[in-house]
Amino acid sequence: MKDYSLAALMITLLLWNTTDLRAQVDVRKSFQKRSFAVTGFSGDATVAGQLTEVLKSDVRLSGYLALTPAADADFVLQGAVRGDHGGITVECQVTQSALKKSVLSKSYPGSAQDLRRLGHAIADDIVQAITGQRGIAQTKIAFVLARSPAVKELAVMDYDGHNVRLITDDKKISAHPRWSPDGRKIIYTSYLQTFVDVLEADLYTNQRRRIAGFPGLNSGADFSPDGRTIALTLSKDGNPELYTMNAVGGDLHRLTQTRGAESSPTWSPDGQNIAYVSDDRGSPQIYLIARDGDEPTRLTVSPAYNTEPDWSHPPAGSGVSPMLAVTSRVGGRFQIGLYDSATHEVRPLVADGTDNEDPSWAPNGRFLVFAKTRNWRSRLYLLDVLTGEQVELPAVEGGASEPAWGPWPGAK
Amino acid sequence: MRSKAFSYTIILALIGTLSLTGCNAFKKKSPSGGAGTEGGVPPLPQGTDIAGGSRPIVTGELPHGQFVPVYFDFDSAKIRPSEMSKLESVAAAMKGNDKKLVIEGYCDERGTAEYNRALGERRAQAAREELVHMGIDAGRISTISYGKDRPADPGHDESAWAKNRRDEFVLVAE
Repeated sequence: MKDYSLAALMITLLLWNTTDLRAQVDVRKSFQKRSFAVTGFSGDATVAGQLTEVLKSDVRLSGYLALTPAADADFVLQGAVRGDHGGITVECQVTQSALKKSVLSKSYPGSAQDLRRLGHAIADDIVQAITGQRGIAQTKIAFVLARSPAVKELAVMDYDGHNVRLITDDKKISAHPRWSPDGRKIIYTSYLQTFVDVLEADLYTNQRRRIAGFPGLNSGADFSPDGRTIALTLSKDGNPELYTMNAVGGDLHRLTQTRGAESSPTWSPDGQNIAYVSDDRGSPQIYLIARDGDEPTRLTVSPAYNTEPDWSHPPAGSGVSPMLAVTSRVGGRFQIGLYDSATHEVRPLVADGTDNEDPSWAPNGRFLVFAKTRNWRSRLYLLDVLTGEQVELPAVEGGASEPAWGPWPGAK
Repeated sequence: MRSKAFSYTIILALIGTLSLTGCNAFKKKSPSGGAGTEGGVPPLPQGTDIAGGSRPIVTGELPHGQFVPVYFDFDSAKIRPSEMSKLESVAAAMKGNDKKLVIEGYCDERGTAEYNRALGERRAQAAREELVHMGIDAGRISTISYGKDRPADPGHDESAWAKNRRDEFVLVAE
């Protein structure tokens, strides 16, 4: 802990140096995607064609690469598929055109039945090789799939909207999924037993266990970054308040005591603080509290209604700062914004006259997934915060909402 | 005119300072008063310190329709004086027996899902608090918030929304 504190102090002092702040501004402003061409794969035409489609999609979604014809490309992917059905091997070559230098030369064993997974692994390696940054092509998104206004199930899909798989099939209401840091479990709000409980689903064993089933509301559960603590909303002692508890059970601590409702906790990257919603002053705003319940402080002042904060946890060395994404209501419509601590305002990112709600950060701290409701139908969208680009994910029958972007695969 | 990146860097620096020193760098006098400015200020919450009653055993769907729902204003969990007589009917039905009551709190479809779950709970608790004042033991009353789920009226207009901002009351055998 001492070494971390010293490093944090040095980083903080470094950032307060105005020269370094200007340098940071320059880097952000000059963000440029590298041009990339997927020329194709030799070998079985069907496999090659499907793989090419997955890779092109991943390149477009990567945020770092722009798909161009080979003649214009800084980097070119060429490959070969060995085998045609069942077990295959895909050989990939990525060459930097100008220097005629290989930046990636790798063989990928896999299955012709699982080409999307193979393609995503290749795409992430490409991003890593060219930019040094980790790609998001192998990440997942959990969300609420509405069958009807009275039946909502939890589902998980690939980050690009493919491979939707149900996690619950209770024919009741499940809501507010949140991932454990190791990606093995999802905690969520469940009406399986009529009352409002927090349950935990193990994605590997399909087992479920109850985390909180106190009288009243049990909801809004969120894992701390180290996975050891859960912050959640309970109303067992009166109106809904913020609590923490041990992830394996017990050690319940109450953090807040107000006349209003607290809800929607989200942890800071270092696990020392929690941002959350309170309507103690009339309309809901975002507050900050230390994990031990030290004096809560109001963060947002404007606009009048701010809820559902999500705190990003970008990897160290990625050059991305932690940020608080928020849902705001302005003029009766909902928008996604970023909290600005200098002004206590929320600066809009997505404000288009539809209802945009429930932002959730990708583990790279640069992309958000959120729900857009248009004509009372909800769909999920990806947003590249750096460029402002939005990508509409494939529609889910009945509607998709409350997305939660999962951690890096293989996370601890 | 500060660029976005400048502000983001400020956020990181402030967060770094906050977590490092333990002292709250954000701590300053917050503006006072209720914040709502869109078409009226939401009332300040009344809150409740009444602890939740134990859950009754429930099998299957809870039956509805025994009592008239109590309705709420937009963004509010305050029981309107005009709704009190409905609560008196519920209280009367609970006297002289040991039955338990489940109060279900609901919101209209506008608003984010999780905050609405908390608001629905405040609505259910507001009714419970009144029933306690009417002499009903708090331990007999449990609450379920459905947030904006399970609307009474699936429409997307003011008349539907008004019917969805409600508490429903279900009497169950002990």
